[in-house]
Amino acid sequence: MPSYSFNVNNKPHTVDVDEDMPLLWVLRDILNLTGTKFGCGVASCGACTVLMNNQAVRSCQVQIQTCGNAKVTTIEGLSEDGSHPVQKAWEKMSVPQCGYCQSGQMMNVVGLLKAHPKPTNEQIENMMAGNLCRCGTYQRIKQAIHLVIEETAKG
Amino acid sequence: MQTSSINRRNFIKISSLAGGGLVLGFLLPGKGMAAPSESGDFLQPNAYLKIDKTGKITVFVGRQEIGQGVNTALPMIVAEELDADWKNVTAEILPYSTNPIPGYKPDGGGIYDTGGSQSIMTDYTELRRVGAAARLMLITAAANKWKVQPAQCITENGFVINTLTKARLPYSALVGDAAILPIPKDVVLKQPKDFKIIGKPAKKTNLKDILTGRAKYGIDVKVPGMVFASVERCPVLDGKLTSVDDSACKQVSGFIKTVTFESSGVPMHLHAGVAVIATTIWSAMKARKLLKITWDEGANNKQSTDDLFKTFAAKANDKPVKEVYKKGDVTNTAANTLELVFAEPFLAHGTIEPMNFIADVRPGFCELWGGLQLPDWTVQIISAEVGLKPEQIKTNLTLSGGGFGRRLHFDFALEAVRISKQIAKPVKVIWDRTDDVRNDVYRPASLHAMKASWDNNGKLQTWQHHKVQTSIEVMTEGPDTKSPPDMLGGAGSDLWYDIPNVYTGYTHVDFNLNRGWVRAVELCVNVFPVESFIDEIARKLNKDPLQYRLSLLEGRAAFETEGSKLHLDPQRVANALKLAAEKISYHEPRKKNHYIGVATHFFSFARSYAAHAVEIEMTGAKKFTIKKIVSTIDCGIIINLDGLMNQMEGGTVFALSQALMSEITVTNSRVDQDGFYTYQVARMPDIPPIEVYTIPSAEEPGGIGEASLPTLAPALCNALAAAGERPVRLPLSKDGWSWG
Repeated sequence: MPSYSFNVNNKPHTVDVDEDMPLLWVLRDILNLTGTKFGCGVASCGACTVLMNNQAVRSCQVQIQTCGNAKVTTIEGLSEDGSHPVQKAWEKMSVPQCGYCQSGQMMNVVGLLKAHPKPTNEQIENMMAGNLCRCGTYQRIKQAIHLVIEETAKG
Repeated sequence: MQTSSINRRNFIKISSLAGGGLVLGFLLPGKGMAAPSESGDFLQPNAYLKIDKTGKITVFVGRQEIGQGVNTALPMIVAEELDADWKNVTAEILPYSTNPIPGYKPDGGGIYDTGGSQSIMTDYTELRRVGAAARLMLITAAANKWKVQPAQCITENGFVINTLTKARLPYSALVGDAAILPIPKDVVLKQPKDFKIIGKPAKKTNLKDILTGRAKYGIDVKVPGMVFASVERCPVLDGKLTSVDDSACKQVSGFIKTVTFESSGVPMHLHAGVAVIATTIWSAMKARKLLKITWDEGANNKQSTDDLFKTFAAKANDKPVKEVYKKGDVTNTAANTLELVFAEPFLAHGTIEPMNFIADVRPGFCELWGGLQLPDWTVQIISAEVGLKPEQIKTNLTLSGGGFGRRLHFDFALEAVRISKQIAKPVKVIWDRTDDVRNDVYRPASLHAMKASWDNNGKLQTWQHHKVQTSIEVMTEGPDTKSPPDMLGGAGSDLWYDIPNVYTGYTHVDFNLNRGWVRAVELCVNVFPVESFIDEIARKLNKDPLQYRLSLLEGRAAFETEGSKLHLDPQRVANALKLAAEKISYHEPRKKNHYIGVATHFFSFARSYAAHAVEIEMTGAKKFTIKKIVSTIDCGIIINLDGLMNQMEGGTVFALSQALMSEITVTNSRVDQDGFYTYQVARMPDIPPIEVYTIPSAEEPGGIGEASLPTLAPALCNALAAAGERPVRLPLSKDGWSWG
């Protein structure tokens, strides 16, 4: 079985898995980072979103063999204690209900804001359209995103 | 089994009456004494509350957290009467036990069951007593210490205060002394006006865990020695396995073996399956694709929803098979008549966490892990399956990534049990999204034939509602079910409008697709035709639909419904509607091409009242933009204001999916949709601004988890009707409507 070395949450990891194993399952089942969630396996829901080299990706669609030396950030690596601005905004707006989709939502927002530090409403809606929340917390997610943008602008 | 199933069904509808004050007996640990705290380090007067010497207060939550917020609202109730400092309160899942409170034998709702938006309603009084009793013990301990009368002590924010000396002792300093005191039998509860925690907005007790990825859902649980299973199921419900060739699976690393299980009938209706066992779920999913299977699909493998709706339409013209409610005489039709037929599709739950479960079945032993909304019933059925007594089964309940009624059913748990039994190892079964959409317990498809007549003075004289659907009870209880059909939500004696002659009836049509309880169940299904039809009658009478509704509610006294014995106050139905109208500026001049629709209802599962007002702008032929949605609720006393707002917003979104785009269709007895690309649900761009407003009330608290669903679709459709064309079928996308 091939061996793959990559960086997750600023720590080097080496895993011995099939080359086509999705990053999602490497994170969840091999590295025990279960904050990244399985929702569909076909990029239809966004629950598995992580950052790969600072870009938001659906980890269910990334085979481990394509990760190379990628630097992967999961919800567990966003901050030690929930102090990342996106987490703080989520806390302030009391976004979650069941919470299952929220790590994917937050990671997608982190990726969105890295690509577009001051996104328009349309950009926000387009880039968040791939992240489902079946509890229906979209309005609070939107409000939390705007809060992050405001807080960031304040410095 | 039959009896217990019927009890379970009753739970959904009337556990408030059956269970109520009995459910949370103040009985642990027996003999009226507090738990013998071995180290003397904590006070635990009962199963629900523990206060330790650091001041940490733990409330053990019996109801299942599925996103609806019981893990915050229920602790708030305890903390209120305890006069606790809310920041010291944490919530934990009450460990499952078949006999958590010795001496108490639940015959209705149990203490873990979670459905019908009934957790607050059912537990409110007993949890207040839990908090109040502990508070009294802490007061007594302090009074003994100070050598004063307990009456001279008060409590505030986690302290007992001596009113004579102003001395203060934190609860943490009193737990050792309090723990050896007898548990008071009689406690005085606070006046609601004195509430400091109840009614305020509180953040979820596990919010930090969610935000940091530490929250553990069923799918995250790992058990030593565990293997994984992915299951290929017969696409037709009552099918059988003819043959399976798994030889190609052996090339997949991690593949262990396959095991099979048969389909099952009442109550949970498993599809026949071939389970692929592997060391990782990825290996199991990969190997599953290499299976070669032939199924015997049985005789009922040619059914379709197209044909089903034709059958519905034919049956709708016949007399209902079951008469549900009769008042006066509808055969004496008045001069002017209106008939409309409404149709609603099968719907899936689509919880974001797909079904999954861990079972470890060994000789004489069984352990379970996962999210369940009805754990008592699950354990009862599994005990029969594995030949053990319920108390021999250890059940570990977890957080769920959404419930919506899906986890009231436990077909996925039975699968895990059947697989583990064959391999004598713990196994985690994980459904992929296609499994989830294709093997759900669907909200029944239905058709509603509505008839009304009014006299030449415009007075509504008769109202008829014939509902034709594929029933839930036949699935959960079998064809001989005696349970009442799904007619709450204005389709029976709980019709809130004052109409002199009413007749409602029900006809079941068989269909080979599993059916079950989806969030708000028949309330959603029935309020759509009821609130659409009353609106259409108003339009035919050239009356304002809001004023017309209010005229049919005006002066109508509160009454008790027949059979279900629910207390219904039409004035609260009216008030929810009035508030929605006010907040959407119903009486203000409207912009060009803007239209408003309203709908209201009695949320009978949990004695709440809720309404919607929806403003749309028509942007083209059959094209609209939703400008704003107002959602109102009168649920009596509110526990967690923020949780309520979140639920009302989220329920509105859930209902918006159903109104706009969600539909399960069936061809050749198999579900056509295979995931979220084909079973469409609302995404962020679909969501208009949603405003939630509450009606202050001193009534006992009702439930809110489903209350914002039923009126959304009719309010939206009534806005479209105001614009010129009434939709009579959901989802709107099916008849060419588009939005954006």
